Amino acid sequence: MVASTIVLSATAQHVLLAYSALLLSIAIAVPLAVASLHSRPLASAVMTAANLVQAIPSLAVVAFVVPLLGIGYYPALIVLVFRALLPIVKNTWIGLSTVDRGMIAAAEGIGLTGWQITRYIRFPLAYPAIFAGIRFAAILTNSVAVLTAIIGSGGLGGLILEGIAGSNVTKLLSGAVPAILIALTVDRALSVMERRLEKKK
Amino acid sequence: MDLWAATLALWQRYDITARTVEHLSMFAWALALSVVIGVVLGMLLYRREHTSGYVFASLNTLETFPDLALLALLIPLVGIGAAPTVIACILYSILPIARNAYTGLASVSAEHLEVAAALGLTERETLLRVRVPLALPLIAGGVRIAVVFTMGIVTLGGLIGAGGLGVPLQTGIFNNIPEIVLLAGLWVSLLAVVLDGAAGLIEKMLHRRYGGW
Repeated sequence: MVASTIVLSATAQHVLLAYSALLLSIAIAVPLAVASLHSRPLASAVMTAANLVQAIPSLAVVAFVVPLLGIGYYPALIVLVFRALLPIVKNTWIGLSTVDRGMIAAAEGIGLTGWQITRYIRFPLAYPAIFAGIRFAAILTNSVAVLTAIIGSGGLGGLILEGIAGSNVTKLLSGAVPAILIALTVDRALSVMERRLEKKK
Repeated sequence: MDLWAATLALWQRYDITARTVEHLSMFAWALALSVVIGVVLGMLLYRREHTSGYVFASLNTLETFPDLALLALLIPLVGIGAAPTVIACILYSILPIARNAYTGLASVSAEHLEVAAALGLTERETLLRVRVPLALPLIAGGVRIAVVFTMGIVTLGGLIGAGGLGVPLQTGIFNNIPEIVLLAGLWVSLLAVVLDGAAGLIEKMLHRRYGGW
């Protein structure tokens, strides 16, 4: 048996790590995507980086941080932010930039400023793409947060790794099951949130 | 040329060549099996709307599992080593491949199908000669996503005794040897980027060949 206090505190650490990283990523990614809208070089640099980094295995990304930043909570947080950032930027940019030309022209015609067009036309139309990116990133941060236990971030990955190392199935499950439940809950919550926003539009 | 000599020494000391062979053979098995399973599943599902809903819902759920947790859950069932690693890669890659294949096969335009019917093609011929070629770009896109997933999970396999390039990475992380972490990390990233690029090229070729119908 694994004491329930251990599982609970590991779960709390896990949620805190994974989802503070996700929030940080969203806070960086959305303005970056809006900025890319106005600057072609920035947009192409961001997209190239996004495509390139997406092909690198998560374990390798985690590993790179060790020689550069060391181990612990903050290096893990940086890995997670970095990992979640690019799918969100990419999807947000695609969503914002593929808005129908006619809509933009009509908005300009009624005298909306560039900022108002972004706020009231581009964003509402881009919600599905933005949320697809955020949902993917949420799943990704959850699974990478399991991995970052290797570099001492704590959380549920610690229990899973100890379970694997000691062939202790109970311990392994006590880490894996909450991680899976968190992923499913967050995915569900994001889809509900998306539907709410869609309705408001 | 100190750096070069040091790299070579590390390369030999940690058997990177042998690890790469292990890595790529697991990768090839996993990718080949998931392409076959995914495409066949996509074909089976494209006409069964109600079944496909359930199947895709369960594949979606599977996709939300953290990869290390999935690997860990497979240990009690199939033990450690290459088997759970390859199975986990396949489980993750079926969804993108099957979903893309399904979408591609199901969204062939009515005109194409009418022409096929007018030519007197059978159901089977329509599938193989009209639907599959038209769906190829999408299928290739799904395979490309699978390439990336598979590379990542094979790397994780090092943690459950599967060998491959995860082993030097893991050794480096646990024993705090930054050089081997950097070498193995760069090498596995390079492999991933190159294979992803190769898949992209194949996708572009197929698109040029079949995309302009």
